[in-house]
Amino acid sequence: MRESDHSIVRAVLAGDKEAYGALVRAHSATVFRVAFRIVGNEADAEEIVQEAFLRGYQRLESYQERSSFGTWIYRIAVNCALNRISRPGIEAEYRHGEESDPEEKTVQVPATDADPERVLLSKEISVAQDTAMRRLTATEKSAFVLRHLEDRSTSEIAEVLDIAPNAAKQAVFRAVQKLRRELAPLRRNA
Amino acid sequence: MTHLGDEELVELYYGEGTSAADAHLHACRECSAHYAEAKRSLDAIGPVAVPHKSADYGDRVWENLRPRLIPYRKETSGWRGWANWRALAMLTGCALVLSAVFLGGRYWERITTKRPDVASNPQATQRVVLVVLTDHLDRTERLLVQLEHANSPDRTENAQLQSEARELLASNRLYRASASNADDPALAGALDRLEGVLAEIANDPNLSAADIERVRRDMNTKGILFEIRVLRARNSDQESGLRTAKGATI
Repeated sequence: MRESDHSIVRAVLAGDKEAYGALVRAHSATVFRVAFRIVGNEADAEEIVQEAFLRGYQRLESYQERSSFGTWIYRIAVNCALNRISRPGIEAEYRHGEESDPEEKTVQVPATDADPERVLLSKEISVAQDTAMRRLTATEKSAFVLRHLEDRSTSEIAEVLDIAPNAAKQAVFRAVQKLRRELAPLRRNA
Repeated sequence: MTHLGDEELVELYYGEGTSAADAHLHACRECSAHYAEAKRSLDAIGPVAVPHKSADYGDRVWENLRPRLIPYRKETSGWRGWANWRALAMLTGCALVLSAVFLGGRYWERITTKRPDVASNPQATQRVVLVVLTDHLDRTERLLVQLEHANSPDRTENAQLQSEARELLASNRLYRASASNADDPALAGALDRLEGVLAEIANDPNLSAADIERVRRDMNTKGILFEIRVLRARNSDQESGLRTAKGATI
C-alpha cells in the first residue's frame, strides 16, 4: 500500500491530477473519523476532509516518502480540525456547550440495554462526556482524542500536533484530569 | 516507598509506563486501588460513535475536490517555462538596448567633439613658436651676460660656459633657419650673429679667459646681447598680444 501511495504521488506530481482520486478514496474514511472525533460535528468533519485533501494536494511537492501518505494526510487533517476548534467563535461555542442543543452536538452512544433506566443513564453519560470534552482546550482535546480514541503513542501525538513529546504527554494528562473531574458525579450515580 | 502519581497511573493505563512503575503497581495495594479507579473512569469515556459513511464516500469527496485542483507540471511547468523564456528575452532585450545606447553615445561623442588641432591653427602655432623662441632667447641672453663678465682663469667655469654654448648652438641653427623661412630678417640676422659667437665658444678646444676676451671684442657680443634683448621684448609683446586676441575670441 505504501509503495502504491508513493507511486500515485509521483504520478500526481508528474501531472496526472486524476491519480489523486485514488488517494482520496483510500484515506477519506480515516480522515473523516479523526476529524469527527476532534470537532464532534459531522458537517464540520466533512469540510475538514475536503480542506485536508486540498491542502495535501497543494503541498504535495513537500511530501517526503519517508512516511506514508496516510500518516501525512492524517496529520494535515488533525491540524485542520485543531484550527477549526481553536477559532474564537467555535471555542466559545464549545465552552458554553451546556447552553446549546445537546441533541445537535452530542455523540450518541448506542444503548445495548433495552432497560429504559439504563438508556436514560447512558444518554446522560454521553451528554456529560460531550460537555466535558468541550471544556478542554483545543490542544488538550486533540491530544486526548489521538491518545484515547485513536490509540496514538505520545511521540506520534507530538509529531502530529507539532509539539514536544513532553508537552503532548502533559496535554493528555491535563485532559484526563479534567474529564475525570467532570465525570466523577456520574460514576458515583452509576 | 514512594507511591505512583496520577501522571504515572495514566501512563500505565495507556501502556507507556515504565517497568519500575509497573512492578510497583503489582506490589503496592494502595497504588493498585488508585489505578483501578483511574482505569474505571477512563474506560467509561467510551469511543465516540462516528457517523457511518457509505462505501462511495471517498468518491463523493473526490468529485467535490477534483474541480478545485490544478494539475501539476503540465500547467505549472508550462507557465514556468514561458515565464522563464519571457524573463530571458526581456533581459536580453534590456542588455541590447543598453549596449546600443552606450555605443551610440560613444559614437556621437566622437563625431561631435572636435579635438583642438594645434597644427592647423596658425595663431596657436605662432604662439608655441614664440614661447619656445623666447625661452631660447632667455638662455642666450644669460650666456652672453656670463660671457661679458667672464674673466676667470678657472677652466671649470669656462667649460660650463662652453657646454651651454654647444646646447644653444644646435637649437639656434633651427631657429635661424625657421626665421629665414618665415621672412623675419631681424630675427634671422640676430640669430646668425649669435650663432657665430656660440660656434666660437663651443668649438674652442682650450677655451681660456683670453679666448673669451677675443670673442667679446671681435664679435661685438654687447651688440648681440642688445639685439637679443630687443627681440625677446618683441616676442613677449607678440605673445601677450596673442593671449589678448584669444581672450577676445572667447
